[in-house]
Amino acid sequence: MRAMIVKEFRELRRDRRTLGMLIGMPILLLLVFGYAANFSVSDIPTAIVGPAAQQVADQVQAANSPFDVTEVLPQDDKDSATTLLVDNEVSVAIVTGVQPPEALIDGASLFSAQTAVSAIHASGLDVQIDVLFNPDLTTAWVMVPAIIGLILTFIGTVITSIGLVRERESGTLEQLAVMPIRPSSVILGKIVPYFILAALDMTAVTLLGMWLFGVPFNGNPLVFALGSALFLFVVLGLGVFISTISSTVGQAIQTAFFFLLPQILLSGMIFPLDAIPWGVRWISYLLPLTYFVEISQGVMLRGTPIDHLWIPMVVLAGMAVLVFAGAVARFRRDLGPSKHQIRKAAEAVAT
Amino acid sequence: MSQDPLLQADRLSRRFGAFTAVDDVSFTVGPGEVVGLLGANGAGKTTVIRMLLGLLAPTAGRALLLGQVPDLDVRRRLGYVPQSMGLYQDLSVEQNLEFSAGSYDAPVAVLKPPLLELRDRLVGDLSLGLQRQLAFVVALQHRPEVLVLDEPTSGVGPLSRAGLWDTIRGEAEHGTGVLVTTHYMSEAAECDRLLLMFAGRLIAAGSEADLIGDTTAVAVSTQDWAAAFKVLGDAGEPVTLVGRGVRVADRDARQVARLLSDAGVPATCDQVPATIEERMASLASGSGA
Repeated sequence: MRAMIVKEFRELRRDRRTLGMLIGMPILLLLVFGYAANFSVSDIPTAIVGPAAQQVADQVQAANSPFDVTEVLPQDDKDSATTLLVDNEVSVAIVTGVQPPEALIDGASLFSAQTAVSAIHASGLDVQIDVLFNPDLTTAWVMVPAIIGLILTFIGTVITSIGLVRERESGTLEQLAVMPIRPSSVILGKIVPYFILAALDMTAVTLLGMWLFGVPFNGNPLVFALGSALFLFVVLGLGVFISTISSTVGQAIQTAFFFLLPQILLSGMIFPLDAIPWGVRWISYLLPLTYFVEISQGVMLRGTPIDHLWIPMVVLAGMAVLVFAGAVARFRRDLGPSKHQIRKAAEAVAT
Repeated sequence: MSQDPLLQADRLSRRFGAFTAVDDVSFTVGPGEVVGLLGANGAGKTTVIRMLLGLLAPTAGRALLLGQVPDLDVRRRLGYVPQSMGLYQDLSVEQNLEFSAGSYDAPVAVLKPPLLELRDRLVGDLSLGLQRQLAFVVALQHRPEVLVLDEPTSGVGPLSRAGLWDTIRGEAEHGTGVLVTTHYMSEAAECDRLLLMFAGRLIAAGSEADLIGDTTAVAVSTQDWAAAFKVLGDAGEPVTLVGRGVRVADRDARQVARLLSDAGVPATCDQVPATIEERMASLASGSGA
């Protein structure tokens, strides 16, 4: 048995990925759950509008409240406050100048909304609460748009990388490299089916979510489709990339898991971004799912128009270009050497 | 041979880090020729093939396919059966043919028995021999001018092996140039020309008869082959067992007979032409590695 134990440790020491999982995963989980796993938001971005805006803002800030007043707009009214919520600039807007004052709360930011509602109730003040976008604060409404992103990530990274690695494992990649198919056609031919599958899956989950949980679709489906397509390119690129650094299906799944887990935990789909301290939150902003969740929740629940979603759109487009181009270039190398290398070899003999 | 080689290795070398897998290898394959690339596992055969196909860049030298640096267009005229066969195990026989035909814009090959009856079966469910047969059909479907086969008969029974060699010879008769690797020396007789590789180098080239030349071996006939084998082995002779016959490569019959009679093992020793394995072994030991 001793020999077995020694052998196992020796094998483990060579298997960097498993080692990384054994050491990296607990640390990641510890950090995330220690710092980021916070359902109660302490700094809810809040706007205050109406004639008494400044006065209320001072009161809110003096009281030890979870509201972080970011906008004080005495000239504005309820309509512009609603727009701020639609564009996800703030999560709470307090309208003064009416009796009683109104608190508009973004129900799409579920945990901020819950914290806000209980803080207002606890204050005992006479405030009319109006939860927008998700009046009953249903978890499913917030989760479905995020789950769509998770499904796309799963198909894009796990399924795509498995599909490519299987060709490598069975030796058919070598046959493909010899066939008169351009490397770009090999990659596209490999990816298009997954793109279509992911698009169908996404549509099915969206419709099912709307039907089963009554999730609304308030925005423009085209904006949603654009965001999804950009996001899909990023995750498909990740899938291709994972396949280039994995030689077996097992390795590919393991590596894809490394990309998947942080996205589930840090994209804001489970723990609100506003509750994640900056020491960890910067990682969130490197993850594509963070931007997709912003788009999908924005379009479906808040009905955010495209001109207020351009930041996540541009970030996703940039990521798509970078990841996809990098992955494809790496994959191309597996299909054969460059002309330059061959020419250099010929010259090496001539001299 | 031919003034226009289909495959040409011109001073090919390939290093992987400090390890030299292929060292200054040159040869050609002409139309209608079956050229056997022989060598033990790890001698560099597959690396040579991968360079000729353009899958691997040489560290030095040129690999030419139909007179050109292998690229997408010229590879249209090539048929390749990799050692792993390159078949999709989870597709049927017919679907594999369709995929390859579609990629080459070639008509789907007409199958012959026994593959014909199995055309809807998954490739993964077929025996290795049948899979190799199918790999041939797939590789020949687009009527290539050059056929490159990496260990095409490995793991296949003698009957299927003979069938595969019939196919190879048939293609060569139609003018196709064939480069085939094998580590079964018994298949050397099927080739027009042999290239012997050892430790990355080409150590001999020519027909089987050329290679064997006048090298001989000693065939020992004895009732007690085990004792003869032990005596000669203990004496440090290059002794091999072929069935129950004891052979000693590159030695004089009288010398061997004396060793055996001194040890009291009754045997008759005859000087016979060496086999290709024996020649290969002596070439390899003579090449100083």
